[in-house]
This record gives sequence, structure tokens and C-alpha cells, in this order.
Amino acid sequence: MTASILDGIVLGLQFGLLATGLTLMYGLGGILNLAYGQMAVVSAIVTVSIMEAGLPVVPAAAIGIAVGALLGFVLDQTVFRPLYSLRGEARVLLSLLLSLGVALMIDGFLNWLFPLKGLSLFIGGGAIDVFGEPMRRGSLLASGITIVAMGGLVAFFRFTTLGRAVRSVIEDEEGARLVGIDPRKMLRLILLLSGGIAGLVALTRSMVAPVDVTAGFGITVFALIVTVVGGLGSITGALAAGIILGVINAIAASAIGTFMSLVILLVAAAVTILVRPAGLLGVKE
Amino acid sequence: MAILDLEGIEKRFGGLKVIDGVTLEVDDGEILAVVGPNGAGKSTILKLIVGLEQPTRGSIRFQGRDITHLPTHRVRHLGIAMVEQTPRPFPTMTVLENVAVGALFGSPDTRTGEEAALAAGEEMLAFVGLADRRDDHIDNLNLHEQRFLELARALAGRPRLLLLDEVMAGLNESELRSSIDLVRTIRDELGITVIWIEHVMGAVVELAERVVVLDFGRIIADGTPHTVMRDPHVIEAYLGAAEGIVDA
Ligand SMILES: Nc1ncnc2c1ncn2[C@@H]1O[C@H](COP(=O)(O)OP(=O)(O)OP(=O)(O)O)[C@@H](O)[C@H]1O
Ligand SMILES: [Mg+2]
Repeated sequence: MTASILDGIVLGLQFGLLATGLTLMYGLGGILNLAYGQMAVVSAIVTVSIMEAGLPVVPAAAIGIAVGALLGFVLDQTVFRPLYSLRGEARVLLSLLLSLGVALMIDGFLNWLFPLKGLSLFIGGGAIDVFGEPMRRGSLLASGITIVAMGGLVAFFRFTTLGRAVRSVIEDEEGARLVGIDPRKMLRLILLLSGGIAGLVALTRSMVAPVDVTAGFGITVFALIVTVVGGLGSITGALAAGIILGVINAIAASAIGTFMSLVILLVAAAVTILVRPAGLLGVKE
Repeated sequence: MAILDLEGIEKRFGGLKVIDGVTLEVDDGEILAVVGPNGAGKSTILKLIVGLEQPTRGSIRFQGRDITHLPTHRVRHLGIAMVEQTPRPFPTMTVLENVAVGALFGSPDTRTGEEAALAAGEEMLAFVGLADRRDDHIDNLNLHEQRFLELARALAGRPRLLLLDEVMAGLNESELRSSIDLVRTIRDELGITVIWIEHVMGAVVELAERVVVLDFGRIIADGTPHTVMRDPHVIEAYLGAAEGIVDA
């Protein structure tokens, strides 16, 4: 039981971090990005390709993350452009369609160009005891990196004026425009940031389990569930929901089996929405 | 010299013509009050100026420059700030953080750093008399204080023109007093031109140098407070709207 909970926390931290990207894109720009998992996979594949070319893991990972961020920026400048002339529901719906197209295209290219490729960052050395349970070093390092990244993200939004400006657009877009904030600029920043987050999570994920070319949609689905439970537009909600769902997932997987764990997560998500329609910490309408 | 020039402005919402050919010149440094019955189109005019709404006809020039179709944040960078009728500070930020956002983004100079923004924020809080509330959560501010906070946030970007939408509604006698004084100080000490929508006629007579009366989206009178209040068209418009003109 303790082992499952610890595994769940490791997974939950990562998906909590991942979901912040999704929740920010939605809260800020009304974009539901179904290509998010593929962005993570692209980072992973770039990293493994560079490592195969002979570069050490740290610079390869840095480039992988940078490519994820760049992909977010490119999407903002190209495919997502038509979205910005729309408002409200129309924008959300078109973003679903456009990003689904992007996801399918990336999946197609990756499967065609690198059919069997996957990234596993194996961290050597034996297990370390945590609460009497042996934990692999990879899981611990992944969790450590994730916690640091979360801390940085929360600090950015809480303690910098730029971070507060992003929040102000989520809270009151018209008010933000009146104080001189350009919502489009903030959205561009967030797409860049969430691309980088997707890349980082792909790398830490690969310290626990391989991330291969087909992983994209699975990652998106999990991140989407976490985002909905946490409350669309809420950063702390996403982080909290990630950890809770990670633990539920791990317990369900060990008690019933992995084949049912996603269904159990969906049930948990549905119950949350029934009890709290805006999610755990969602932005009130 | 005119700082703001509205020329033949028309605004329709669907079939409804809300602003019907408004032409208006606002002089640099004046305090101009805009009055008129409910639904006359006063708020809409301000929204058109800052680009929250787009006019269906006509043009708007600020300091000689055409701003008719600029997005709201660009208008703000050029030097026009607005305070709306309902205060809407950012709810998850402290008083100072609210003003610092205005300082960092309210001016075109994007090199304003984090520290400069906070310093400018403190300065503006001191100016409106909220310096000791800097770390307060905005829930702890009453209506009057929230309005002053919004003024500080608007002023933090160093605008040249300030638009105020009924910022004195719902205040008690002493709060009204301090608001009138503050608006006068904003003009006198910071040299900022003020366009000010108001229902409190006593305040208008005391503070405004010029009054424009709007009715059904048209300007029906324009002059000093005393001449305008005696204008038969104005009296008729107000009686028609069943609203006493001398209610303060
Ligand atoms: N977005 C909108 N869509 C449709 N009609 C609108 C819209 N905004 C304003 N109106 C209408 O335009 C008219 C003028 O509204 P406006 O808010 O400018 O009036 P006002 O003079 O500010 O009134 P008040 O003194 O009540 O604040 C009203 O009839 C209002 O219903
Ligand atoms: Mg109004």
C-alpha cells in the first residue's frame, strides 16, 4: 500500500505539473490543446536522438525542453492564429479541432520517421528506502526535479509582476487590457512556457518509465482529467489534483489492475465535477 | 489645444443607435464632466475612446494621433487610463501588487523593472492616501478605498488623460469631499486632463470647468456648469427622464 501511494505521488507530481500548462492555456486563451501530449513526446524524441548522436544527457535534455517550448511558440504563431479572432465557446471548439489535427499530424510523422524510438533515462544505482519502501533513484530524482519546477512556477506567478499580469488576464481580461496588458502577448508566453513544461515532464517521466512515440494521446488524456478535476484556469488546483489522482491511479492499478485505472480516474473526475462544477479550485464564472 | 478629438462618432448595437453623431474637442488640462439621463450613452463614449468598443462611424484622435481602431492596451500605452463604475481590482492580489501591475504595463516603456514598478506603485498609493494599506487584501477595502486603489492603478502608468465613470456614486459626504479634492489634485499637480461622468450634480458644479450633456446619444448642451444647468433642453431631458437635476 505504501509503495503504491509513493508511486502514485511520483506520477501525480508529474501530471500535476503537466496539467498546469493545459490549465493555463485554457484559462488564459480559451485553448484546449489536444496536442499537448505530442509536444511532450517530441521533446523526448529530440532528446533521445541527440543523445544517440553522442551528446551527454544534460545538454540533450536542455535542447529537448527548448524544442518543446519552441513548438508551443510556433503553434501560437501558425496553427492557432485563426483562434484569436474568435471569442468564447467558438474559440474553445475550434482549438479542439485544430489541436487534434496537430496531434494526429505529429503522431503520424513520429510513427513514420522513428517507429520504434522511445526515451528512457535510466538512473543507475540501487534503491533508496523511503518510509521503509525501496524507491528507485530515478523516481526520486524525477520527483525532486518536478518539485523544484513546481516551486519555480508558483513563485513566478505569485512573486513577479509578469506572473501577476498573466493571472490578471485569467481573472479579468477586460480589466487587464485596461491596465495596459496585451492578452495575446501573455498567451504567447504561456504557450512557450507550457511547451517547456511538457518537455520537462516527458524527461522526468522517462526516468520512471519509457516515453515512446505512441505516448502522446495517453499523456493528453491523463493531463486533461487532472486539469478538469483541478479546475480550469487554476494552477494550484492542477497541482493538487495531480497528486490526488496520481495516488488514486496507483492504488487502483495495484488493487484492480492497470486496465481499469483510467476508468477509475474518470469516475473520480466525474464525481468531482458533480460535487464541484468548477473543479477543486476552479476560477468562478 | 485639444488633447482629444471625437469626430462624428456613431455606435450601434444591432439596430439600436446608442451614440448618434458625437463631435467633441477636449482641451489639454481641463476637467470635463459628462452628464445625462440613464442610458444616454455616457459609458459607451468612454468605452469607445479606450477601444473596449469600436465605433460604427467616426474617428477619435488623441494628441493629434488617430486611435480609432487601436486595441485597449495600446490606447493605455499612449496615455489614456480609465476607471470604471464598478471597481474591479484583481481579487487575488494585494493593494500594492494591483498598482504595480498598472505601473509595469500601463506605460509604453517596457523596460520598467520589477523594482521600479513596485516603487512607482508605492508612490501612487501615497498620492491617493492608501500607503498604509499596501499589503492589505482587497477584500478589506471599502467601496471608497477600492475606487482610490483603481485611481492609483490608473495613474501608475503616468497617463495624460484620465476617464472616470461615476466614481463618486454611492459615497458618503466626507468620501465625496475627498474624491472631489483628489480629482482636482490629479489635474493640478499631475497635469492630467480629466473626463468625468457624474450623476452627483453638486460635485459637477463644484469641480467641472465644462459640462457636456448627453441625451439619446447626442450632445444637447456644452458649456460652464451654470449655463448648462439653466439650458431649457437640459431641463427637459432630465424632466423627461423623471430625474431631478438639482439633487445635491
Ligand atoms: N453591449 C451592449 N449591447 C447592447 N446595448 C448596449 C450595450 N452597451 C450599452 N448598450 C445600451 O446602450 C445605451 C447606453 O448605455 P450606456 O451604458 O452608455 O449608458 P449610460 O449613459 O452610461 O447610462 P447610466 O447612467 O445608466 O450608466 C443603453 O440603452 C444600453 O442598454
Ligand atoms: Mg454608465
